[in-house]
Amino acid sequence: MNFYIKYLIVAIGLFAFSGFFALFGVYAERKVSAFIQDRLGPTETGKFGLLQTIADVIKLLIKESIIPAAADKLLFMLSPAIIFIAVYMGFAAIPWAPGIAPSNLNLGLYYIFAILSIETLGILMAGWGSNNKYSILGAMRSAAQIVSYEIPAGFAIIAVVMIAQTMNLQTIAAQQGIMSSEKASFLGIWNVSQYGGILAWNIFRAPHLIIAFVIYFIASLAESNRAPFDIPEAESELVAGFHTEFTGMRFAFVFLAEYSMMFLVSMVAVILFLGAWNTPLPNIGSVRLADWTTGAAWGIFWTALKVLALVGVQMWIRWTLPRLRVDQLMNLCWKVLTPLAFVCMLISGIWRLWVM
Amino acid sequence: MTMVKALFYLLGFMTLASALFVAASKNLVRSVFMFFVTLLSLAGLYVLALADFVAITQVVIYVGGILVLMLFAFMLSGKETLSNIQQQNSRFISVSHLPVLLLAVLFFIVLINILFKADINNLQWTNKAASYKLDVRPDSQMTSNIGTNLMTTYLLPFEAISILLMMALVGAAHLSRKEKKA
Repeated sequence: MNFYIKYLIVAIGLFAFSGFFALFGVYAERKVSAFIQDRLGPTETGKFGLLQTIADVIKLLIKESIIPAAADKLLFMLSPAIIFIAVYMGFAAIPWAPGIAPSNLNLGLYYIFAILSIETLGILMAGWGSNNKYSILGAMRSAAQIVSYEIPAGFAIIAVVMIAQTMNLQTIAAQQGIMSSEKASFLGIWNVSQYGGILAWNIFRAPHLIIAFVIYFIASLAESNRAPFDIPEAESELVAGFHTEFTGMRFAFVFLAEYSMMFLVSMVAVILFLGAWNTPLPNIGSVRLADWTTGAAWGIFWTALKVLALVGVQMWIRWTLPRLRVDQLMNLCWKVLTPLAFVCMLISGIWRLWVM
Repeated sequence: MTMVKALFYLLGFMTLASALFVAASKNLVRSVFMFFVTLLSLAGLYVLALADFVAITQVVIYVGGILVLMLFAFMLSGKETLSNIQQQNSRFISVSHLPVLLLAVLFFIVLINILFKADINNLQWTNKAASYKLDVRPDSQMTSNIGTNLMTTYLLPFEAISILLMMALVGAAHLSRKEKKA
């Protein structure tokens, strides 16, 4: 019975974490956008406006939940839950530190890839259920975009899996540092198994994975519907896209899903390419920096630091780059990213056979 | 009753009930969304049969691909077409449904026949696999097993399927290409 209680506590903890992250993610987003646009952002509620998003959430909670008369009520009410649960279930397989993962799946990476595709269905459900032309246009754009960008993302992931030879995220993480059980070599020549640190990260073990990382990062922006790929919720054309009709708690769930998605895709990127929970500091002679900074608590610290840095880049991109048009979006996906991802996969095979 | 058995019956019930809803519902879009429940519970059944790779592949291909395509078709086809389809004669048993009913009943009889004739607890090939210690355990590595088998024993069927998919792709590209004026 203790077994089930443990799982329940982990699940509640992850839910609380995603809520907490969304709360301060929104605050950070507003402050970053204010900095980039030379404004101040929220300043009034609490010190530096820190309580602003908490006030927003309280407002959302006490708002009236409106269901449009012409909506398909069941689909309309279920869709925010499905959108959020799809993203939330992805957190189940993600390792945080050596030995700390909610579920150590053999097929963890593939599982996350599969679960995230359910989100598309939730968005289509929201679009159809709202019975509103803006919603349905937004939902269709979103689905087309996510389905297309899954292909370069998938091939970038396969490039990593070919190097790592496993789909277990915990094993992929362990390979990129001093806890590796096999030989890790920097650029395929210099054996760095003893030094660890940044030298043993996947992007430096096989340098073509830097390209794969950029491809995955761009595709993950598109999959979480973030600018410059935010045509599904383009304010200037579609009001708010697929979540136009949502109010109160349901709107909050859609937002929670978006911010959890940002965190999840960044976390997958960190695990696959940027050394997961491994420290960036290498061992230098008798200064055993890598040995000192590896462990359960350090692991959580490094994961959180790297993921938050990537989330910061996502926000920076959102407030810097203009939105892509639909044809530009598809051109980028099919004519640039997909061929590049294929080339990465090919190099991965050659690298694994002859270099590593 | 163990946890696994209870889960099996729950998932089996969910699969059958949602599949019945898909077949019987008059609201086409809702039945497509209900199909999603069918597919997910089927994936759960695969997991219980220790075929986790098949389960996840099922979710990727059917939920992420085919269901989204079906919904696309619905959303692009407009209200009039949809209501035309929905206004068909919807009585379950009628003369026009006779061939379908006949086919379904015959297929059902074949399935029942297999079920009764096969000695499920004592199948020859499972006994053989168990005697060679080739049966799947909960902790065995399935992906490398599948990969090795696809590239050795089943290479020819695998290649045949890839040629079939290639033909479908070429056909789709040909159909969607704009015709040049000669």
